[in-house]
Amino acid sequence: MAKDSPNLIGISGDAPAVGTPTASRLQAKTLCAGYDNAPVLDGIDLTIPDGCITALVGPNGCGKSTLLKTLARILKPSGGTALLDGKDVFSSNTREVAAKLGLLPQGPVTPEGLTVRELVAQGRFPHQSLIRQWTRADEDAVNRAMQTADITDFADRPVDSLSGGQRQRCWIAMVLAQETDLILLDEPTTFLDLKVQVDLMNLLTQLAHAERRTLVIVLHELNLAAAYADYLVMMKNGKIVSRGAVADIFNAETLKTVFDLDATVIVDNASGRPVCVPLPKRHVQPPRVVYG
Amino acid sequence: MADVEEVARPTNLRRIAPAGAALIMCVVIVLTMAVHIAVGAKQLPLSTVFEALLHKNDKVFDHIIIWDLRLPRAILAVVVGAAISVAGALMQGVTRNPLADPGILGLMAGASFAVVTALNLFGISSPVWLPVIAAAGALVAAVVVYGIAVWAPGGATPATLTLSGAAVTAFLGAFISLMHIMNEDGFDQLRVWLTGSLAGRDLGLLIYAGPPLFVALIAGLLLGRQVTVLSMGDEVAAGLGVKTGHLKLMLLAVVVVLTASAVTLAGPLGFIGLVIPHAVRLFAGSDYRLIVPFSALAGAAYLTAVDTVARMALQPQEISTGLVTAMIGAPLFVFLVWKKTR
Amino acid sequence: MSGGLTKAPATHWVLRAFGERIALRLPVRALAVIALLLAGLVVLFLISIVTGSYGVAWGDVLQTLTGATVSTAIDNVVWEFRLPRMLVAAMVGAMMALSGAALQNVTRNGLADPSLVGVSQGAALAVVTLIIAFPEVTPGLRPPAAFVGALLTATLVQVLSSGGRRHGSSISFILLGIGVAAFMSALTTALLTYGDINRASAALAWLAGSINAASWSDVWLLAGALGVLAPALIALSRPVAALQLGEDTAIGLGAAVRLSRYALITLSVALAAMATAVVGPLGFVGLIAPHAARRLARAGVGLTLVMTGLTGAFLVAGADLAGRALFAPIQIPAGIVTAIIGVPVFVYLLWSTAARQNA
Repeated sequence: MAKDSPNLIGISGDAPAVGTPTASRLQAKTLCAGYDNAPVLDGIDLTIPDGCITALVGPNGCGKSTLLKTLARILKPSGGTALLDGKDVFSSNTREVAAKLGLLPQGPVTPEGLTVRELVAQGRFPHQSLIRQWTRADEDAVNRAMQTADITDFADRPVDSLSGGQRQRCWIAMVLAQETDLILLDEPTTFLDLKVQVDLMNLLTQLAHAERRTLVIVLHELNLAAAYADYLVMMKNGKIVSRGAVADIFNAETLKTVFDLDATVIVDNASGRPVCVPLPKRHVQPPRVVYG
Repeated sequence: MADVEEVARPTNLRRIAPAGAALIMCVVIVLTMAVHIAVGAKQLPLSTVFEALLHKNDKVFDHIIIWDLRLPRAILAVVVGAAISVAGALMQGVTRNPLADPGILGLMAGASFAVVTALNLFGISSPVWLPVIAAAGALVAAVVVYGIAVWAPGGATPATLTLSGAAVTAFLGAFISLMHIMNEDGFDQLRVWLTGSLAGRDLGLLIYAGPPLFVALIAGLLLGRQVTVLSMGDEVAAGLGVKTGHLKLMLLAVVVVLTASAVTLAGPLGFIGLVIPHAVRLFAGSDYRLIVPFSALAGAAYLTAVDTVARMALQPQEISTGLVTAMIGAPLFVFLVWKKTR
Repeated sequence: MSGGLTKAPATHWVLRAFGERIALRLPVRALAVIALLLAGLVVLFLISIVTGSYGVAWGDVLQTLTGATVSTAIDNVVWEFRLPRMLVAAMVGAMMALSGAALQNVTRNGLADPSLVGVSQGAALAVVTLIIAFPEVTPGLRPPAAFVGALLTATLVQVLSSGGRRHGSSISFILLGIGVAAFMSALTTALLTYGDINRASAALAWLAGSINAASWSDVWLLAGALGVLAPALIALSRPVAALQLGEDTAIGLGAAVRLSRYALITLSVALAAMATAVVGPLGFVGLIAPHAARRLARAGVGLTLVMTGLTGAFLVAGADLAGRALFAPIQIPAGIVTAIIGVPVFVYLLWSTAARQNA
C-alpha cells in the first residue's frame, strides 16, 4: 500500500498509508440524514479505512458532525444505512455496537464533582451489569486507559477542577476504557490552546498507529487535519467532495472548491505535511482624499 | 432628552387614536360595571341599574341593593383591577421582564403574610394600619425576591426572578397555613380573602386604602414616559439623562403602594398584572405612556368582568375571583414561557 | 500539579464474590451514611412511638412491639395509631424523595421537584375531582386517579418544554411547571368551593398533606408500591449514570436512552402519585432529599438513590414528629414543615445551579 502513496513521507514509519481503503469495518451506504425536515446528508457513500486516522473536514453546516452522529447511531438516518461489520448500526443491539464502537461527542458535559476515575469507569458500561461493575478486567481497563491518556496523576480529582486539555484527555480515556477498535470523535480539539491540541492529536495518532485502532475525527482546524490525518474526507453541502490521502487531495483547488478559500498549499519540510496559507485579499486602493 | 421627545412625539393622528380608544374603554368599563351590578341572586334589568344610579330612590328595594351591596363591589373591582394592572405594567417595564407580576414576584404573598400576621398574632385590625402593614410586607418581599435573584450568579433574569418569587410565595404560604392551623376559628373570614375575593368587602377600607392607591395610580401614569426610556435599558436611560436609581426607587414605591392597597381591599388576585399589560401591548405597542393608562382602563374592565363570571358561573355559590384570574392567567404565563423557549 | 489535592481520595471497598458475578466498588463513607440513616430512622421510630398525648413508658413500648400486651390502650395507641403513622410518614418520604431524584435525573435539572412542576398538583386535582364528583367511590380508587392526573400533568409539562431549542436542562421546564401548577391549584380550590361542604372538608384535610389518618391499609399499599418502584428505579441506575454524561455519550456507551427516559418519568410520576394519593401533596421533599444525600457522601447513582430514599424517609418522619409534638395538641401537617425547610434549600440551589449554568 505504501508504494501507492509516495507522498506520505515524513510521518512515522509504521503509519499505514492509505490511498483507497481495502479493509473496512465501518461504512456508509447512500446515507441521508437531517434534523426535522431539514436534510443535511445527501446520499453519502463512505468507507472508513481500518487502523488509521480519518479526518472529516468541511465548512460549517456541511454535515461532517451529522455524518459522525449518524455513523454512531445517535441520529436516525432518513435513508441508506451505516454498517458496522456489515450490520446496520441503527437496528443492531446498541450495547453490542458499544462494545465495538466508542464515541466522544462534541463539548461533553461533566457532572459536578465526578472524579476522573469515576468518569473513566463509565466507559466500561457495555461490559457491566447492575451487580457486576468492578471486575478485575474493569479495573485493569480503567487503569490502562488512564495511563495511555496520561491522567493517572489526578485519578481521584474532580474532572471539573481540571484544565480544558486535561478534561478532554479524561474523556478520551473514558472512550479508551470502552476498549473498542473504532472510536469516533467530534471536534475534540475545539476551544483548546494550540499546544494542547497538538498533544491531543499526538495521543490520538499513537492510538491509531501503535494500537491499530480506527479513529474518525471531525476537525475544525484545517492544518491540524493536514498534519495528522491518514485519510482525509472533505465535505460540502451534505456531500463528499473529495477523499483520499492528505498529500493527494490537500491542495489549493480542493480548498477553493470546498471552502471557497483562496490559499496556497506548501509542503512543510520538517514534517513533510502540507500546510495551507490563506491569501490576503488585495484591496482596491482607497481613492485619495484631497482635503481643502 | 430633547432628542427623545423629537423622536417619540406622536403625530396628530396618533394622538387622536389613543384618545378615542380611551373613550371606548371608559364606555366598556361603564357597561361591564352595569352588567356586574345587574346580575346576581336577583337579576335586575339594566334600565333599573341606570335609573338607580342616576335617580336614587331609597324607597325602592332594588335601588338599596344596588347602592349598598352591588355598587361598592363594582367600584372595588374597578379600582383594584386598575391598581394591579398598572403595578404589573410598571414592573414589566422596569425589570424588562415579561413575566413580572405582583403575584408572581411575591409582593402579594408579602402583603398577605403581613396582614395575616398583624390580624392573627398582634390583633391589629384597624383599617388605618392594615394598608401600611400590607405595604411594609410587600416592600420586604419585593426586596427579598430581588435580592435572591440578584445573588444568583445569573443575575436578576426573568427566570431567576420568577423562581425566587415562587420560592418566597411558597415560604410565606407555609407560614400563613401554620397560623391558620394555630387559629382555626379566627381564620374563617381570612380564608376567602386569601384566595383573592371581592365578596363582602366593605367600602370602609376604601377610605384608608383608597387615597394612597389613587396617588400611586396617578404617579404611575405620570412616570409612564420615563418607564419607556428605562425599558430600553439602564445605559440608554442614563445616556438620555434619566436618573435611573432615583426613578427606580419611585417606581418601587408606586408598585408597592398599588399592590398593598389592592391586597388589603381584595386579597391576592393573581396574574392580573401579567395578563393585562400583555393584552394592552398587543394594541398599544411598547410605549409605556400608552401601556400604563390603558392597563389601568383594561384592568378595571377585566376584573369587573371576571368578578361577574366568578359570581355567576356556579350559582348559587361563588368562586373566589382570584381563582378565576389564576385560571385565565396561568395558561398565559405558560404560553409566554413556552414562546420564549422556541 | 496545581492545588486542590488536599482532600484525601475517598476510600472504597471492593466487593468481588461468586467468581466475580458480583463485583462492586463501594465507597465506605456512603455505606456508613446508609447505616447511620437506618439507625437514625429506628431511633426516630422509637421516639415517635413514646411521644404523644397518651404517655407510654419506654419499657411498655418495647414489650408491646415484641408482641406482648401490656394493656389494651397501649396496644391500641402503638399498633393502631403511632406505628402505622410513622411507617406511612417514612415510606411517603422515601417515595417523594425518589420521585424527585428520578425527575432531576431525567430532566438533568437540579431544581426539579414533583410538587414544583405540577405533578403533585395534577394528582391532587384528580383526587379532589374524585372526592367531590363521585363521593360514593372508595378511597381505594384514589391512587390510580392520582397516577392518571400526575401522568397527564407530567406529560403536558414535558411536551411543552421539549421541542424548544434548549430543552431538558433548561430552567424553562421549572417555569412551565410552576405555571401549570398554579392553574391546577386554582382549579382544585375552585372545585372545593363548588363542592358539598362535607366532601370539601374531607378533601381539604387530605390536601393539607397530613399523615394523621394513616391506617394499616395505607401502610400495605405504600409498602407494595415502594417495594416495586424503588428496586425498579435502582435497576435503572446504570443508564442514569451514563445519561449524566449527556445523551450522546450515553448512546455511545450503549445505554437504552429513550427507554430509560420513559421509564424514569413513569417511575417518578408513579412514586409521587402513590404518595400523594395517600397523604396529599407534600412539598419540597423531592427537592431536598436528593441534594442532601449527594452531600452526605459521594457515591454512584444506585447507592445515592438508597441514601436519597432513606434521607426522605428520615425527613418526613422527622417533620411529622415535629409537627405533632412541637405545638401539641395542635397538629401541624408535615407538608408545612417540609415547605419551611425546603424553600431555603431551594434558594440555595437556585444560587448554585445558576452558577453552574453560567460556568
